[in-house]
Amino acid sequence: MRHLLKYGMVLLAGMAALLHPAYAQDKGKVYYMVPTLIDEFQTGSVSAIEMFLKQVGYSVTTLNADNKTDLQQSQMNDVIALKPKAIILAAVDFNALAPSVEAARAAGIPVVEFDRQISSTMSDFTSVAGTVEIGYVAAEQVQRLLTEKNGSVKGKVLQVLGDPGDPYTLDIQKGFEERMAKFPEVTIISQPAMQWEASNAGTIVSDQLLANPDIDIVFSHAAHLSVAAVASLEAAGKKPGEVYVMSSNGAPVALDLIRQGWMQVEVEQPLYAQAAAIAMFMDKIVAKTKIEPGEYDVLGLKSTVTDEAWGPTIKIPGAAITKDNVDDPSFWGNLKPPATPVTSVP
Amino acid sequence: MPPRQRKVLEFVLDNLVWFMLLVVLAIFSATIPNYFQPGIFANVIEQSSVLGVMSIGLALVIIAGHMDLSVESVAALSAMATGILFASSGIGMGITLTPGWLVVPVSLVIGLAVGGLIGALNGYLVIKIKMNAFIVTLSSYIWVRGLVVAASGGRSAQNLAPDLRFLGIQRFLGIPLTAYIAIACFIGFSFMMAKTRFGRHLIMIGGNEAAAFRAGIKVDKVLMIAFVLSGAIAALAGWILAIRTSGATANLGTGLLFNAFAAVVIGGVSLKGGVGALPGVYAGVLLLSSINTAINLMGLPAHYTQVIHGLLVLAAVLLDTLKQTIRKRLA
Repeated sequence: MRHLLKYGMVLLAGMAALLHPAYAQDKGKVYYMVPTLIDEFQTGSVSAIEMFLKQVGYSVTTLNADNKTDLQQSQMNDVIALKPKAIILAAVDFNALAPSVEAARAAGIPVVEFDRQISSTMSDFTSVAGTVEIGYVAAEQVQRLLTEKNGSVKGKVLQVLGDPGDPYTLDIQKGFEERMAKFPEVTIISQPAMQWEASNAGTIVSDQLLANPDIDIVFSHAAHLSVAAVASLEAAGKKPGEVYVMSSNGAPVALDLIRQGWMQVEVEQPLYAQAAAIAMFMDKIVAKTKIEPGEYDVLGLKSTVTDEAWGPTIKIPGAAITKDNVDDPSFWGNLKPPATPVTSVP
Repeated sequence: MPPRQRKVLEFVLDNLVWFMLLVVLAIFSATIPNYFQPGIFANVIEQSSVLGVMSIGLALVIIAGHMDLSVESVAALSAMATGILFASSGIGMGITLTPGWLVVPVSLVIGLAVGGLIGALNGYLVIKIKMNAFIVTLSSYIWVRGLVVAASGGRSAQNLAPDLRFLGIQRFLGIPLTAYIAIACFIGFSFMMAKTRFGRHLIMIGGNEAAAFRAGIKVDKVLMIAFVLSGAIAALAGWILAIRTSGATANLGTGLLFNAFAAVVIGGVSLKGGVGALPGVYAGVLLLSSINTAINLMGLPAHYTQVIHGLLVLAAVLLDTLKQTIRKRLA
């Protein structure tokens, strides 16, 4: 009886293992340190990273830092003790996590930076759209929209930042204002939506509409802030298109707003491509073999790997989503993950 | 001090927060460009609606000598429930009812039920199990927010049913209808506190629970009602929040708890219990809202706004403390 039970258990365990799709190529566990789960980009990043890494044979466990730097540092310490194949880090704070990155690498665990670049220390790989670059794309779009509305690049832009303690929003602001600096006829009013909370953004918009009724564009640093901004515009009696609205990250809610005519442009962070790039290079990262600089095709997007002072970095260009291309399934906001599995770079 | 002068001073002290509000509004109007206009004052009232309603529930429990830290998360859960059920984009299920206006009472009842249930659970643990209210409601603050994140999967619900949005868009005398809901709540609950037996019992319990018990007041029952009311009122605040933002996100309402505490304290409610009136709390809410609006219009660098916000709140609380000192000297 005891033998029967033993063999039965072994058989069951074997069957369970066979049912696991990655059985044939289980290459080990990777931890993904997500900064928060209260915005759609981050939530989407969890499923994208888990899906793409599974396609190349890795299992992923995700730890949520609730936007707390100290919590993410503790999580890094815990994960280092578990000795995973690699750690994918989307840092809550770009600089505060640098010592944790160094500790992981000193313990022989490769660290990949996802979405949020850490340039103050070496990482094994970085996959970003570039937060400053998102600001650049936003600036180009604002220039186009102002020209369309006012005949030239002049007018008033209300920039609704995220929490001013978050380097992510400050980088977008930096890129945006850097590119807008050469247009003196554009007034930029910047206000922070504390804790990235949507109703704070709504309040800012309703106040500013009274103080500056000639606002041409409301540019929010996240799509969920635009939802509240649009609600305030609607409450103020504005019609779609009367005040232009744009934001960044490419979340589904933004795409809906474009379809409804309220939003003119959403600057997409190429979530799927950013996650897929990590999966493509994961074997090399784990094996600690050199990642060659050059151009790579990531889900159809031409992306460039460069050797930077902080390690090999792939930059995937963000795209501007407008009513003309809003239904393109490659935008992660349409929630249609690519059907073709990614493969490892040889 | 002559009786007439004393009477005037007492009147000023009783309504100090309202005078503070008037002074602050006058200073902002004189110094901040574009502040002095009816639209801005309407905004101040409108922006007070969510915080105001939430502060009522919090004030009731604090006056009763307890604490409810869960109000912010309960509001978020109520907003998310409304969003998931009655918003048509994102994770919204877009449920429609016939006739369309039915969505207003149905969503409200669902929200109130959610809030009331959590309030009842808090009340049960505090009153029957004799757990500390701070710890019980702190845990609710955490698990209820967790429930919001889990229920939404981190995604948002958007495009609330037009019949609900009507309350946020439609204005009467330049002020959205949601603000009138808040004002009606303040009038109703102020009446309840001042003129009903329940209100008087609540104050007595907050002042001295043992004495209230010996006086024959059903302390447990009154406290349980206070916790249920606090949860339900927080849920009402969340319902208004969802209407205001046309949906819900997982972090909606973050930070409201501390503003609600500030408003309650500025409004003259003692954290020790037994002291406080709701009109003062409403003045406190309006004061915070006018400060917030001023910051929005000042065009300050983003990094400094929190510092200024905190310092202005501190100044308001210091004035309130000064009031207490003067009152003690008068006594």
